Amino acid sequence: MKTILQIEDNLANKLLIERVLEPHPYRLLHAADGETGVSLALEEKPDLILIDMGLPDIDGQTVVTLLKQIPDLENVPIVAVTAWPAETAEKMARQYGCDGCITKPIDVRQFPSQIAAFLGNE
Amino acid sequence: MKLVPASEFSFEQLVDAYNQTRVDYVVPMPMNVARLQEYTRVYDVNLSRSTVAMNGEVMLGLGMLGIRDGRTWITRLGVLPNGRRQGVGQAIMDELLEQSFALHTSTIWLEVIKGNTPAHKLFCKNGFTETRELIVARRAPNLKAEIPDDLRIKSVTPLDHEDALMLLSHRRKRPNWLNEIESFYHVKNLSALVVELIDGARGWVTYHAGLLQLTRVSVEVTVGDPAEVTAAVLHVLHQRHKRQDTITENLLDDAAWEGFKAAGYFEAFRRIEMKRPAPES
Repeated sequence: MKTILQIEDNLANKLLIERVLEPHPYRLLHAADGETGVSLALEEKPDLILIDMGLPDIDGQTVVTLLKQIPDLENVPIVAVTAWPAETAEKMARQYGCDGCITKPIDVRQFPSQIAAFLGNE
Repeated sequence: MKLVPASEFSFEQLVDAYNQTRVDYVVPMPMNVARLQEYTRVYDVNLSRSTVAMNGEVMLGLGMLGIRDGRTWITRLGVLPNGRRQGVGQAIMDELLEQSFALHTSTIWLEVIKGNTPAHKLFCKNGFTETRELIVARRAPNLKAEIPDDLRIKSVTPLDHEDALMLLSHRRKRPNWLNEIESFYHVKNLSALVVELIDGARGWVTYHAGLLQLTRVSVEVTVGDPAEVTAAVLHVLHQRHKRQDTITENLLDDAAWEGFKAAGYFEAFRRIEMKRPAPES
């Protein structure tokens, strides 16, 4: 079973993603801030990291920067899930070496297939 | 609705309320307690003169007031989803203006994120006029960052915190509230680099180097083309700090910005700086 780490401070967004992915065979982990997210990523070595760019302790961009510099995680795809306007979100994701971005609010019908694609399941 | 000084609440309560005001905001910028504490300290926010709108025990909105010599700064103004369309924003604004007038301030400043139309309208309605646009920019780290071959550097002189403050006190253009010298007085461990090029061009950069981030990046060109020298100075900075992410707030949209872009910075979003004079007493 593939593991997805969601780094997201907003409880409603966290619950929504959990609900949307519930029917799918993923193990979901959650961190509410950047520091916890980095710790969990190191401990669990997930197959995919979903990260909100606006985190309360460390900017999401900085967390991505850090994760990308950890050799054990270099092959883990990181996807920005952000409320930034689409154009800015894409630019931000590209500049910081994310493997993609999904803008909020997520499209609940498309989201599972987007995740599957990032996991290489499609 | 009643207005209560923000100093009557804990930082945890203020952070929780503030984050709720921003859940559906144009640019998501949540804070935690440490960040808000630093924010109030660095930007001279006075919580006794800042305000929280309450309905019974329920927070509806909040607004904060920075105070410096002869001027105030309205910041972090926001209304929680449960307080919208009830005149909460205007009530908070009225209170912050009253507090400013009571201090006999000459000018009241604020910024609004470009594209936040409801807030912009509120500020215009309350007598604020636009002064300029400010850029919030980022630069992703680049482990391969090197100084371009065509850049002929004569010397690089690293300076310490006190010298950095000295440089910052000699800027030619008026900085925004966030970048005023008063802000930098509250920041620890600033660094600076003075860069001289072979052709005589010269400039400097001051910055704070954290473990993960470079922040408070400020560049001044003393001799030479603003864009070229800014880019040169920043190339030198980032060649020395390859691993850190960089964020710099409230840059002016001037020739130097071209230099920032040439050094790998990109625009995250813009703010509009606004001001209004206080009524003559």
